[in-house]
Amino acid sequence: MVSEEYRGAKQWSRDKQAVFTVVWISFLCAAIGTMVFFALFDPVDLTDIVDEDLDIGRDAGYAAGFFFFWILSLVCSGITAFLVRTAPKRDAKHRE
Amino acid sequence: MYESQKKIYPREIGGRFADLSKLATILLLGLFYLIPWLMWNDRQAILFDLPARKFYLVGMTLWPQDFPYLALLLIIAALSLFFFTALAGRLWCGFACPQTVWTEAFIWMEQLTEGTRSQRMKLDKTPWSWNKIHRKASKQFLWIAFSIWTGFTFVGFFEPIRELNHQFMTLTVSGWTAFWGLFYGFATYGNAGYMREQVCKYMCPYARFQSAMFDKDTLIISYDEKRGEPRGGRSRSVDPKLAGLGDCIDCQLCVQVCPTGIDIRAGLQYECIACAACIDACDSVMDKMSYPRGLVRYTTEHALSSEETHVIRPRMMVYGALLMVLIGALVSSMALRTPIILDVIRDRNSLYRELPGDLIENIYTIKVINQSNDARVFKLSVVGVQGIHLDGEYYEVAVDGGGVRSLPVRVRVQRANARGVMNIDFIAEAMDDAGDMRVEDSRFVGPSP
Repeated sequence: MVSEEYRGAKQWSRDKQAVFTVVWISFLCAAIGTMVFFALFDPVDLTDIVDEDLDIGRDAGYAAGFFFFWILSLVCSGITAFLVRTAPKRDAKHRE
Repeated sequence: MYESQKKIYPREIGGRFADLSKLATILLLGLFYLIPWLMWNDRQAILFDLPARKFYLVGMTLWPQDFPYLALLLIIAALSLFFFTALAGRLWCGFACPQTVWTEAFIWMEQLTEGTRSQRMKLDKTPWSWNKIHRKASKQFLWIAFSIWTGFTFVGFFEPIRELNHQFMTLTVSGWTAFWGLFYGFATYGNAGYMREQVCKYMCPYARFQSAMFDKDTLIISYDEKRGEPRGGRSRSVDPKLAGLGDCIDCQLCVQVCPTGIDIRAGLQYECIACAACIDACDSVMDKMSYPRGLVRYTTEHALSSEETHVIRPRMMVYGALLMVLIGALVSSMALRTPIILDVIRDRNSLYRELPGDLIENIYTIKVINQSNDARVFKLSVVGVQGIHLDGEYYEVAVDGGGVRSLPVRVRVQRANARGVMNIDFIAEAMDDAGDMRVEDSRFVGPSP
């Protein structure tokens, strides 16, 4: 049967699935977070609060904000995925 | 019989739905690459000018304060997705999702350089030769060039694309701009060139929860098992009924054309992105066999079990009503939007100042934002306490079209009327059109009574 050729159709390993899913979903969350955050705050105003002489410009401010959110959500969903994946199996007695 | 493949080589197929999907791809990608180049008066028609914190939507200028519109728009988009999913299944996945559309474009470039499905499979198996290097290198060249174009077009929604184009041609693109362009380009290259159906299978949240919107009246792509089984090969001259066969000749074409590598005959599967390639494939075979079309077709679970299909049902009404309410809210709030924004910040450094002549003075920073595209003059006044008045210098505030004017304002009240904390209102009124005004409240602080 020709369909046999698809039996082995590209399957990602569990680890690869976890890594790419975490990266992608945290990217989406970071994009939304960045959008909402910078709709409310102007990066130029924010750097003024930290240090009046600090002048990194809006472009760099947006980028810094985006990567901040991305790293934050990466850590968050990465640890969640790790804990869920490595949780000990409930022992058989418990299940009965 | 065949060695198992690590890669899916979707077979090319023509037909009604292939044409529709080609049309969708050309239309959507065309819009994406064209829109940033459209001009409106003297500026880019659609520009999300992040450096200046202004969004230009054709004749309208949106400010960060208008963020609720964007939020509302996103909610409407999500709800429409639910609505159309309940109605017609994964139309989004099959025809409109950027992942599908760009994958389609990348597969087209792959076919152009590496040939048809069987040629591609053969090419991947053969050892490296000049022909293979030539074909693979031309594919990479097309893919990379297209990705870079895509990335910088994307950036062109956020920075003026004409200047960007000039910078690009003269290799003077600034650091962050180049970074985002390459970033988006690389994501396109990876997603559409290599990850393809894996994105839908493993990384897409919608693919996992869309089945929650399905019911037995949702349009799905399905194999008609009653008609097709028992499947089996036969010659055209054989009457399937006499041979005890169903209409499926088990040619495997529906499997070969599937971009996610599933067998539609195994039933509805979450990997199915409803691209309808299997319908085209099966129809072409049915035509050749002179059987009626539609062994694989758009249908509903109810229709398959010979029951009535209802288009209008409670789920559709609820989604539809919610959509109408939200769209109505968005349209009316945008239509009623005043083209002035007034921001009042009280000077926090001092409570109040006593002036000669028994006056109490408070200081404010006023920001007047002119959201229209023409320069306007606004009359600024203050009310709320008897005898309250500005110090007289800034009654008229001229603001450029789409501009912001920030100014310090002194407000004075006779000592006899200034008692403790009092609520006051600032009013900005356009001098050309009395209808346009904006009121913003603040506080006036006087000596404790």
